[in-house]
Amino acid sequence: MKQFSYVIQDPLGIHARPAGALGKAAKPFAGTVISVAKGDKSAKVTQLMKLMGLGVKAGDTVTVTAEGPDEQAAAAAMEQFFKENL
Amino acid sequence: MREKFFGVLQRVGRSFMLPIAILPVAGLLLGLGSSFTSETTLATYHLLDLMGPGTVPYFIFSVLSKCGGVIFDNLPLIFAIGVAIGMARQEKEVAALAAAVSFLVMHAGISAMIGLTGGADKLLEGSTAMVLGIQSLQMGAFGGIIVGLGVAAIHNRFHQIQLPQVLSFFGGSRFVPILSTLVFALVGILMFFVWQPIQGAINALGMLVYSSGYFGTFLFGMIKRLLIPFGLHHVFYLPFWQTALGGTMEVAGTMVSGAQNIFFAQLADPTVTHFSTAGTWCFTGEFVLYIFGFPGAALAMYRCARPERKKQVGGLLLSAALTSILTGITEPLEFSFLFVAPALFIISSVFAGLAYMLCHLLNITVGLTFSGGLIDLALFGILQGNGKTGWLLLIPLGAAFFAVYYFTFSFLIRRFQFKTPGREEGDQETKLYTKADYHARKEEGEGVSAAIVRGLGGAANLADVDCCATRLRCTVHDGDKVDQQILKSTGAAGIIQKGQGVQVVYGPQVNLIKANLEAYLRSGAAEAEQPIIQGETEHREEAEPEHGELLRTLVIGSPFRGEAAPITACPDEAFAQKMMGDGAAVIPWEGVVTAPCDAAVSMVFDTQHAIGLELEEGVELLIHVGINTVALKGQGFKALVQEGDRVKKGDKLLEFDLDYIREHASSTSSPVLFTTMEDNQRLRLLKTGHVKPGEDLLALDIYGE
Repeated sequence: MKQFSYVIQDPLGIHARPAGALGKAAKPFAGTVISVAKGDKSAKVTQLMKLMGLGVKAGDTVTVTAEGPDEQAAAAAMEQFFKENL
Repeated sequence: MREKFFGVLQRVGRSFMLPIAILPVAGLLLGLGSSFTSETTLATYHLLDLMGPGTVPYFIFSVLSKCGGVIFDNLPLIFAIGVAIGMARQEKEVAALAAAVSFLVMHAGISAMIGLTGGADKLLEGSTAMVLGIQSLQMGAFGGIIVGLGVAAIHNRFHQIQLPQVLSFFGGSRFVPILSTLVFALVGILMFFVWQPIQGAINALGMLVYSSGYFGTFLFGMIKRLLIPFGLHHVFYLPFWQTALGGTMEVAGTMVSGAQNIFFAQLADPTVTHFSTAGTWCFTGEFVLYIFGFPGAALAMYRCARPERKKQVGGLLLSAALTSILTGITEPLEFSFLFVAPALFIISSVFAGLAYMLCHLLNITVGLTFSGGLIDLALFGILQGNGKTGWLLLIPLGAAFFAVYYFTFSFLIRRFQFKTPGREEGDQETKLYTKADYHARKEEGEGVSAAIVRGLGGAANLADVDCCATRLRCTVHDGDKVDQQILKSTGAAGIIQKGQGVQVVYGPQVNLIKANLEAYLRSGAAEAEQPIIQGETEHREEAEPEHGELLRTLVIGSPFRGEAAPITACPDEAFAQKMMGDGAAVIPWEGVVTAPCDAAVSMVFDTQHAIGLELEEGVELLIHVGINTVALKGQGFKALVQEGDRVKKGDKLLEFDLDYIREHASSTSSPVLFTTMEDNQRLRLLKTGHVKPGEDLLALDIYGE
C-alpha cells in the first residue's frame, strides 16, 4: 500500500471536471484500488459521484491511497496529477 | 491545364444531353403546329376554310404549337437546371432546385434594372424578352448555361459546409440555394450592364453586313450561326427580316421593307414570275444546311462513335437529324457538338455563310415562316414551283454540302480526337474525379461513412438513404444485417429500427452526415474500404464489445424543460469527451430540475450546482446545471433535497435562477449523464430538440457479462 497526503490548492476543490479527470488519470492502473479520503469519508477515484460527494475544497487535506500490483506507479501518477491540477 | 479544361468541357457537353433529349419532340410539335396555324400559309393555299381559325385542325395544331413552343421559349431555364444536374457531383436534386431559383433571381434582377432605367422601350428592338413572365434581356441558352455552371460550382464547393450549431439547419446542401440566390441577384445586376453593350455591338454588325453585298450574305449566315448559343441572333437577324436593313422593294405597287415582308408580299402577288432574292437572301441557305448539311455532320459523328456506343448514340443523332430535316429545328444536333468541339461549330458557321451566299448567287428563292426544314420547303418552294423559286437547285447544292459536312467532320473528329457523342471516355472520367473526392474526404467523413455502411449491413444491403431534420432514414433489404452497435459508434444518438426501415438519430448535423455518406457510396469505396475497417481493431473493439444478452433497459426522463442534444454537443470539453460519463446535454428553458426517475439522492454538491442520483446499485446519474457553475459558489441555486433522500420521478430536486446563470456562467448547457458506465452497458439518446420534464431522454441498456 502506498499513500500520500496533499493540501488542495485549487480554489474550487474537487468538482465534476477534476473528478472526471482524476478517474481518467487512474484508468491505466485498473488493477490497483486508488482512493481519496477526507476526514473519515473516502471514495475510490473511479466513483465520480462519491468523489464529488466528499466536498473537497481549497485548504482541505486529502489522503490518497493506492493498493494493488501497480501501487508504486499509481501513487506517483496520482501525486503528479494532484500537484498539477488541484 | 489543357486536359483539365477539356475534361470540364466534356462534362459540360454531357450535361447538355438531358435537356437536348427533349428537343426533338418539342421541335416536331412546334414545327408541325406553327406551320399549319400560320395564317399567311393557310391563306396562300386557300386552306382558311378547311384549317383556319375555328376549325378542328386549327385547334389541334394550335395546341401542338403551344406545347412545343413553351419548351423552346423556356429552353434557358431547362438548360440552367440540366447543366446544374449534369455538373453537380452529388445531391444533384439540390443543385437543380438552386439552379431554378437562381435563374428566376437573375432575371428578376435584370428586370428590376430595366424598370429602374426607363423600361424596355429604351432598349434595342429584339434585345428584350419575356422570361417566365419576367421582362428581361434576351440571353438565350447562354443565360441558362451561366446559371447552371455557376450554381454547380457553388454547389460542389459548399454543399457540405458545416455552419455553427445554431445555424446548422441551414448548413450542408441547404446552404446552396441560399448562397446561389444571393450570388445570382448580383449576377443579374452585372448582366444588365455587360449584356447591353454586347447587343449593341451585334446590332452595329448588322449595318456592316447590309453594306457588303454577296459577302454580306456570307457574313449574315456565319454570324447568325455563331450567335445562336448566346441567344444574340435575335438582335441580329430581326432587323433584316423586318426592317429596311433587310432591303426595301416595291411589290404590287406598295413599298415593302424587311426581307420576310418582301417575300410574303411577293407570295401574295399573282403577277410575280420569280421571287426576288431581296426577300430570300437571308432565308434560303437554311434549307441547304438543315436538310442536307447538318445530317451529314450527324452521320459523321455516328461513324466516329466507339463501336459499343454506336447503338445508343445512333438513336440520339438520328432523331436529331430527322428533326432538323423535317422541322428545321437544329438545336438537338448542333448542341451535341457545339460544346465539346467548338472548333467544329466555328467551321460549321463558315459553311453556313457559304450556303446563304451560294443560294443568293444561284438565285434560289425559297422563303420561310418558321425554319428551313422540309415543311417550309414544301410550302414555299416545291408548291410554288421551280419556276418561281428554283428550288430544284437546292438538291445538288445540298448534296454537295452533305458531303462537305460529312468528310470535314469525320476528318476533324478523328484528327483532333473531339469528344463528340459516343467518343467520351465516360467511365474513366467518372472514376478519376471520385478518386480525388475520395482522397479529399478521407479524413473528414469517410471513417464515419464507412462505419455507417457497415452498420447498415454493407452497401449492397442499402435500398435507400434519406434524412429529415435530425435522422438518417434508411431502407435496407435485410433488416437482420443491421448492426446497431456499429451505428451507435458513429455518433448516433439513437437508433429506431422497424423491419427494413432504419432511422439513425444524429441531430441537426445529419444533413452533412448524409452528404458524406452519399459521396462515400457513390465513390465505390464502400467495397474497397472493407478490409481497412476490419484492420482498425481498436475502433471495432470499442464499437462491438463482447457481451451477452440484453438483460434490461433503464429509461430516464428529462430533468429539464429545454433543448436536448448529445453530450458531445456540450460546450465543455471534459463533458463532451465523456470524461465524466455518457448522456445528454440539455439547454434549460426553466430554472427547475425534477427527478428523471425514482432514485436515491447520492450526492448534492456543496455549491448545489450538481446533483447525483443512484438509480439502483451501481448505476448513478449526474445532473450538472450549467458549465463552470462551480465558480458561482452556490449563488443562484437552491437545492430542495439532500443526500440520502428518496425521490419519485417528477419531484423537484433543485431550483436555480436561470437569468443569473446565463449572465455569470460560461454556458447554461447542462449535462445529464451516467457516471458509472461499465463495458456491458450501452447508452442511447432517445430525444433531441425540445424536451419536456419527464419526457424519455436516455436509455441505458444493460447486457449480461
